[in-house]
Amino acid sequence: MAANEKVDVVIVGAGASGSVYAAVMAKQGKKVVVLEQGPDWQLSDLISSDIWGRRVKPAGGPFTLEGRNPVSYGFQGGWGVGGAALHYFANFPRLLPNDFKIKSEHGRAQDWPISYQDVAPYYDKVARDVGVSGDARAEEIWRPAGQPYPMPPMKTFRNGQVWLKGFEAVGIRMVPAAVGMNSTDYKGRPACIYDGWCHVGCPIGALANPLVTYLADAKKAGAEVRPSSTVTRVLTNSQGSRVTGVEYYDHKKERQVQEASVVVLAAWAAQNPRMLLNSATDKHAKGLANSNGLVGKYMMTHFSSGTFAIFDEDVENHMGTTGAQYMSYDRYGKTSHKEGFGSSFIIAGAALKTSGLGGFANARLDLFGADLQAFMKRAARGFTRIAAFGEELPNIENRIELVSDKDEFGMPLAKIIHNYDKDAEAVWDAKGSTGNYRIDF
Amino acid sequence: MSPIERRDFMKGAATGALAFTVGGVEVFLTTREARAQNVPFRLLKAGEAETIEALGETLVPGARAAGIAHFIDQQLSVPPGEALFEARILNVRPPYANFYRAAIGAVDKASQTLNSGRRFAQLNPSEQHDFVDTMRQNKIQGWQGPGGSFVYLVLRSDAVDVVYGTVEGYEALGIPYMPHIAPDKRW
Repeated sequence: MAANEKVDVVIVGAGASGSVYAAVMAKQGKKVVVLEQGPDWQLSDLISSDIWGRRVKPAGGPFTLEGRNPVSYGFQGGWGVGGAALHYFANFPRLLPNDFKIKSEHGRAQDWPISYQDVAPYYDKVARDVGVSGDARAEEIWRPAGQPYPMPPMKTFRNGQVWLKGFEAVGIRMVPAAVGMNSTDYKGRPACIYDGWCHVGCPIGALANPLVTYLADAKKAGAEVRPSSTVTRVLTNSQGSRVTGVEYYDHKKERQVQEASVVVLAAWAAQNPRMLLNSATDKHAKGLANSNGLVGKYMMTHFSSGTFAIFDEDVENHMGTTGAQYMSYDRYGKTSHKEGFGSSFIIAGAALKTSGLGGFANARLDLFGADLQAFMKRAARGFTRIAAFGEELPNIENRIELVSDKDEFGMPLAKIIHNYDKDAEAVWDAKGSTGNYRIDF
Repeated sequence: MSPIERRDFMKGAATGALAFTVGGVEVFLTTREARAQNVPFRLLKAGEAETIEALGETLVPGARAAGIAHFIDQQLSVPPGEALFEARILNVRPPYANFYRAAIGAVDKASQTLNSGRRFAQLNPSEQHDFVDTMRQNKIQGWQGPGGSFVYLVLRSDAVDVVYGTVEGYEALGIPYMPHIAPDKRW
């Protein structure tokens, strides 16, 4: 085992959150090491292909998925430096004030100990840091006023514009979507060229991924990123009173210890509890930071419900961005849907490619053979979609648990158990998922 | 990625080609080229490849010639972290060969049970269509293996990839492929 010099901070995960911690603390003069399980991706690795783009996504799971509504993290998850934010769609919606007071306003779930007003300045700061395009004034029909976005809204295409008349007819107001992409050159990064490959990674840095934002800042300030480093345990002193660092396996699969004054777990919502639960000692028999038994509990996600259409005109569905062109909070009130409790958020306009889970071949999963062939020809230029995202409330039964099987480093694998409650399912159905083709895993 | 790995990766990615072994030498070919040249399979047995090709062709016409069996075979032979097929996104647990072997085995066993001992590849196109339609709805009695609808999803995704997910596939549909700025400046 090689000796590693003790550092001020070790961060586990080089994705959306880990890169922010790294940048902030490295700029403060702290000695920072970031440990990332996957490869060291560069912008030039981000190939415009749904097939090749899978290299930046998780490779099979250390997690088995259970429950009626499995958390299918493989499409959104990350693998390597940059994490999921290397290939995210870069939609930047905000929580609204009503999200912070659900308990006091509706007697459901819990209130946050902070308010929207506490968070709002940081939304504005991040928008400036990474570069967000949008129209803040237009959004302020739903939220308190804040600062304008640093760039004007993105260009729109027929695949988004074609829906506007219909939304207007049912009283749903659509405004330019806030996205972490450059509508103009910004901070030395070029403007978007709208070729619709955001979902496999933007190699020009027009989309605000960690490689061109916080992680770049962190490295410039002296942070060290170690790819292919799999953290298995958080280590504590003999009294169990203080964290001392982490155990990890390096690119040669050799065990290493990185001591640090502060440990930040920034992997992801399931991997963080997996590490904590695997860090049990005689002083922390249930796992680290788990005296209340809540580590791994209340796993949360949200559903997405798509509505598809084929128009007679060419809607340029290969053009634009994978994220949204338009968005609406008009059904965001917790009681907006008579069918069930919870917010929903609507978007319209997205570039669509042929293959991959989000490709239009999967819009009609029931079709195959000659029927699929005919559909693909019809959909090639006229196909587009809208989507709604829905809320679920915290449920202690949605959880991560270690299992007996182990990975190559002897770390127990884990399972994610997840079911939507009746409210979430009702809102889901209200958003048009009824009749969708469902897959039994 | 190490520089050497990246160079190999880029060489293939730029053309949509994968590394195949021909005469002991590793060459970059598209899966269509690999099939046309009858490149030996690395892991799949002949019967398994035959079933995959028959399933692929039933799911997406053109998948056989586009090299679906060579695509799957090549992906099964590389480390899971480098695999490019949809199985990794669908949380199939590596080694992926276990899933494919179980899926192919389930298809052929069910086909033989329902069709007087004939494997799936031995059915006529109409029978193959009806079998797949029943399988995707999880309605095959006595099915043994990964869920029929999941097998359908994974194999259909592979077939869609090789037929529609390539530059050729986009051209066939009349869709501009519009690759991003060519990421080859480092080389």
